[in-house]
Formats: sequence, structure tokens, C-alpha cells
Amino acid sequence: MKALAIAAVDLRRTLRDRTNLVFVFVFPLLLVFVLGTAVGGVAVPRVGVAVAESGPLADRLVAALAAQGAGISVRRHSVGELAPAVAHGELDAGVLVPAGYDAAIRAGHAVTVEFVARPGTVGTRVGSVVRAVVGHEAGRLRAGLFVAAERGVPLDDGLRGVDGVAASLPRLSVSARTVGTDLDTGGRFDTTASTQLLLFLFVTALTASVALVETRRLGVLRRMLATPTSTAAILTGEGLGRLTVTVLQGGFMMVATALLFDVRWGDPFAAGALMLAFASVAGAAGLLMGSLARTPQLASAIGILLGLGLAALGGTMMPLEFFTPFMRTVAHVVSPHAWAVDGFTALGRGGGFGDIAVDLAVLLAVAVVLTAVACRRLRRELPGGTSRSALTRGAGRS
Amino acid sequence: MRAVLILAGKDLRLRLRDRSAVLIAVVIPFTLALIFATVFGGNETPRPFAYAVTDLDRGPVAAAFVDVLDRLAERDIVTVRRVADPAEAAELADGGTIDAAFVLPAGIGTDGTAAIEVIGNVNAPTAADVARSLAAAFVDDLTSVRVAAVAAAGEPHDPRRIAALAERAARFTPPVSVVDVSAQRRILDTRTWFAAAMAVFFLFFTVQFGVSSLIEERAGGTLGRLLAMPVPPGAVLTAKLLTSVLFGASSLAVLIVATTAFMGASWGAPLAVAALAGAAVLAATGVTAVVASLARTAEQAGSWQAVLAMLLGMLGGVFFPIERVPALKALSWATPHGWFLGGLGELAGGGSLREVLPAVAAMCGFAAVTGAVAVVRLRKAVRP
Repeated sequence: MKALAIAAVDLRRTLRDRTNLVFVFVFPLLLVFVLGTAVGGVAVPRVGVAVAESGPLADRLVAALAAQGAGISVRRHSVGELAPAVAHGELDAGVLVPAGYDAAIRAGHAVTVEFVARPGTVGTRVGSVVRAVVGHEAGRLRAGLFVAAERGVPLDDGLRGVDGVAASLPRLSVSARTVGTDLDTGGRFDTTASTQLLLFLFVTALTASVALVETRRLGVLRRMLATPTSTAAILTGEGLGRLTVTVLQGGFMMVATALLFDVRWGDPFAAGALMLAFASVAGAAGLLMGSLARTPQLASAIGILLGLGLAALGGTMMPLEFFTPFMRTVAHVVSPHAWAVDGFTALGRGGGFGDIAVDLAVLLAVAVVLTAVACRRLRRELPGGTSRSALTRGAGRS
Repeated sequence: MRAVLILAGKDLRLRLRDRSAVLIAVVIPFTLALIFATVFGGNETPRPFAYAVTDLDRGPVAAAFVDVLDRLAERDIVTVRRVADPAEAAELADGGTIDAAFVLPAGIGTDGTAAIEVIGNVNAPTAADVARSLAAAFVDDLTSVRVAAVAAAGEPHDPRRIAALAERAARFTPPVSVVDVSAQRRILDTRTWFAAAMAVFFLFFTVQFGVSSLIEERAGGTLGRLLAMPVPPGAVLTAKLLTSVLFGASSLAVLIVATTAFMGASWGAPLAVAALAGAAVLAATGVTAVVASLARTAEQAGSWQAVLAMLLGMLGGVFFPIERVPALKALSWATPHGWFLGGLGELAGGGSLREVLPAVAAMCGFAAVTGAVAVVRLRKAVRP
């Protein structure tokens, strides 16, 4: 019972601070909203096409790019604004048809179309589509130029001949289809909500360890031992306090995102259990940090580092599927987030307890180990330094 | 003036001895930038796309296509495995073992209506799109040669003449090609971007160690003792602000050098980077000083500053690509972070001091406004 009282004090201390409330409850929801709006869902790559000098051939290329049918939105853009728009991210990529495009082709010179993209897979994808479209146009022009040269006619006549033959000639084609199970659960906010949940649970738990560091520094722990309270009760209370804050935050985020953003967490019991397991890891990590750090500043500094670093490594900012196999292994070795991300992904795809059993087991095991280490550290700091009640060993020694 | 330097020197020495200050100023931003760049950088230079090819034709045309793939494999752009059975290829794509499979049908070279089948895994849309584009480019090339030959031959239809023309047409280079100029444009690469984002984000925490110590000195009673000495109150305030500026500037300088040396970040023209960094330090000091002037206790100042630093960082686009939402992008210009990162973007394409002047001016504007408010408010705090 005393453990509960200690936990309650801990909880009150955390919730009384208004800036804490902002960090624990408001920020995470805000981030889910902003991130979900910014990067959630299936984004259609936006490509700008700028034509430095208009002409029938240049316009035809633009029309072909616009009609590519590969799920890319192509819009006309001004020449001067194209590169800045890509640089600022208003566009994912840009295509610049140079001045003198028509004239150069008619004269039989080679022309280069400039392609500029932001780094990343979207750029790679758009680049391949643009190359294919330009390649198709280049093929037609090459045939037209060849015919014009062979028969001594203007290019436009050559192209007319080519188009006529192309329409009647049986041609090789490409048929494309996709297979496999779609990993995208579809909801705009689904992935964002679960990854932000993990990120914030861990950061909160680690930064909350500042309170424990202060408790230790001020000698509150030792004074508590002067009362008829066992070391076990104190440790349980401190641990429970950490856990309650994280679980409160986790539960709040799950319910709020489900109500506000229509996030589907999957099987509610399994999702709840997974959140609890991860919250235990986070709470235990906070307890360990609180038992190790010498100053509150050090605790919050390392809390930010571990909270953001492990989250990034664990696939909360970039899906684990995009990691190289080596980095995926690293993620699962160092970051508890990776296991929880796997679990939430499985649940999002309609999985149940059976599908997340391994993830749950790993998380709980980590939580137990971290708690055990933290308790050992804290016990050693208390007078007597053993597990027996400090009262029998002379709590007044300090 | 001497008093200012002595006070600031004392504060700086204290901070350098304080392990958590050094952690926040240098170690954490550097480590996080390294982690982010590793996690996200893998995406920038993708692993080779894993393809499989099934050749049911075994003729020269199919061989030419496999040859195209092999040449890409030599450059580590793709990996190609040969699979005899088309069903097996589809299964590999289905299970995600490969990103996409090509099935080259029998008669690809002779039957004009044959189709190259591209089977892509649904979770590898980029690799599947690239596969489709590769096949399309190959088919387009073949078709254009055939069409050119037939159109040039005209009537009557003479297969031998067409074959001879096709050979000539194949040597005719297509007049249009695509050149990727991304590297020359004003886009920060992933490593530099994360180095800069983390540096400016933690700068707003680093500068707190100067101004906020004013509150600590007041609480600890040392401020009163300082003011009892023959030191003008303005000197104490100036010293605190100077500490913030110097500590912030040195942390940025160390981060810029360290990320360049150990992470391969390329910040751009040194003079322009220095101007941007200096302006950012001033802006951060100003903003932080305003918060310090409003807070009653050091804890309060610390948590308000943390909230503000998070909020400004978030809006400034430090954590995620806000430019996807135009309204958020517009908001980012209301933060020093947005201007700092924008200014560095101008430098990525080889810009110089002139290109970053707007960003420098904007951040100096932040510094001037917030600094004025802070000085007016804090002057009261250091009145004896």
C-alpha cells in the first residue's frame, strides 16, 4: 500500500507541472496531426515541367509527361521558379525543357532535358518515369529523323510517316502488375499515431527520470527509509510511479487518436497489451536512468539523446522495411522501439495476440532486465545496501 | 568592459566544466545527426533493386534485354537472378524476396505482339516503377528502330530492305536524353541537412546556459553580491548575454567542423556559413533571453524554453519535411530555424554570401526585436 502512496506522489508531481502536461499530452497529438497531414497516406509525387521556349515538339513532350499514367501529378511551372520550388520542397522533382529544343532537334543536334529531384526514393521513382517518357519521345523523333534523312523530306513529314507506321505495325508491349500483400494499412494517421506513441512514451519516461534523480540527490529516498517502509516498497512505488505516467500517456494517445483522427489500432486488447509492454520498457529505462544519472541536467540531456536516437533507429521515423538488412538487425538489437513497431504493424494488418507474441515477450524481458538492474543500483545507494528492510540495518546511519 | 569579460570568462569556464552543457551543445546534436543521417541516408542511396528475369524466348532480342539488366547489375544499381520458371519468379515477387520480375515471352523477337511482363511487389513501388520503365525503354527502342525502318522503306514491303534499314536506324542516336542536375541545384543532401537541423535545434538549448544563469544567480543570492561590487548592472547583463553568444557560437563552430570532418557534411562557402551561424546564435540568444526575462525560477525558464525550442524547431522544419504542407511551409518563415535551413539550402548549389543575406537579415531581425524586449525587461532584474 505504501508503494501505491509513493507512486501517487510521483504521479501528482508530474501532472502538477503545466509544461509537463503540454509535453505529455498536447505535443504528441499535435505532432500526430501535423505529421499525418504532412507525410501520411499515399502521397502523389508532384513534378513541375518548365519549357524555356515553346514549340510543337516541346509541347508534345510536356503533354506526354502529363499523360504518363504512372500516378505522378505533372504541372506546368515557370522556368525561373522550377529549381527553387524543388529546393523548397513544393515540388518533388522538376523537368526543364531547354530553350531551342525544337530548333536543335530539327537541325539534328542532340538535346538534353534537365531533371532535378529531391534526394530520396520519390526522386528515383519520378526519374525513372521521366526517363521512360522522354525515351519514348526520343524514339519517335529518332525514327522521324531517320526517315527524313533517308527519304530527303522535312522532319514533320518523316514523323507523319512514322506515326502512320507505328499505328499499323504490331508492336511489342509491356504489361505490368503488382503482387504481394500490401503493407500499407491505408489510414493517413495510422502509422504516424503508433510511431509517435512509441517516441513520446520513451522520451517522457526518460525525462521524467529527472524527478528520481532529484529525489536521490535531496536524500528523500534515505529519509523515506527512516519511516517504517521497506526498500522493496520504495522501489516498487518509484517504479510504479514511472509506469503510471507512461501508461496514462499511452492510453490517452491511443484513445484520443482513435477518436480525433480515426486511427485504427487493431485488436484493442492486443494493442493495449503491446502499449503496456512498451510502457514497461520505457518506465524501466526511466528508472534505470534515474538511478544512474548524477545530475538532473545530465538525465534530461541523455534522455533526449536516447529518446530520439533509439526512436530513429527503431523505425519510428522511417519504416523498418526501408532499412538495409544490417541496419534492421542493429535496430532490433539496440532499440525496443523496433519490436513495438513490428507489433503495431502486425496489429494494423489485422493480426491478434498470436502475431505479436514474440514482440511482447521480448519487450517484457527487456523491461524485467532493466528494472532488475535499476533496483540493484538504487538498493546499493541506500544505507545497508542489501535487499533487507533498511530499518533492521540501521537507517539512521546516513 | 573588463568586468564584462571577466564575468563572461568565468561563466564560460563553468559551462565547459559542466558535462551536461557540453553534452547538449556538442555531443547530442552530433550523435543524433549521425543516427538520423544513417537511418535516412540509406534511403537516399537506395540498395540495389532486386530483380529476377525469366527468359522463355532464348533468342537474340531477349538476350539483349538481359544484357541491359546485367550492365545495370555491374554498376550495382540492380541485382539480377535468373529464374527458369515464370511461376517461381512471380512467387519470389509475391513473397518480397525480389522487388520485381521480368518475364520475357517466347517469340519476343519474332512475334510483333508479344509483351514483356513485369511483376512488381506491391511494397516496392519504386523498384517496380523502375522495372517497368526499364522494360518500356527497351521496347520503345526496339519499336522505334522497326518503325523507322518500315517507314523509310515505304511500299512495297521488302523484308530484306527493311532489315538493312533497321541496322542503320539502330545506329542513329536518339536526339533527346535526360541529364540529372540535382547535385548542382540548391538542395541540401541528407547528411548536411540533418547536421544543420540538429545544430540549430540544440543551439536554442545551448544558449540557455548563459542567460538563464542570471535567474540562478538571483535565486542563489550571488547576483546581489555581484551588484554590490563596483560593477555597473549593465555589465552583468551584457556578460550573461555574451556568455550565451560565445557558448552558442563555439558549439555551432565545433559542430560544423565535426560534421564536415566525420560525417561528410558539406555546409557551403565558409564566409556565408559563418554569417548564417552568427545570425542564428544572435536570434537564439534573443528568443531565449525573452523567455528568461519572463520566468520566475530557473526550472520555469528551462521548461518554457524547452517548449519554445521544440515548437520553433517543429515549425521550422527541423524534424520532418514541412514543405509538403504549403501552409506549414509559410509558417516556417516565422522561425529562425526555417531561415537558417533555407539559407543553407541556397548555399548547397554553390551560392555565396549574397544569396544568404535575406536569411541573415531575417535572423538578425529576430535578434534585434527579441533582444530589445529582453534587455528592457532584464534591466529591471539586475537593478540593485
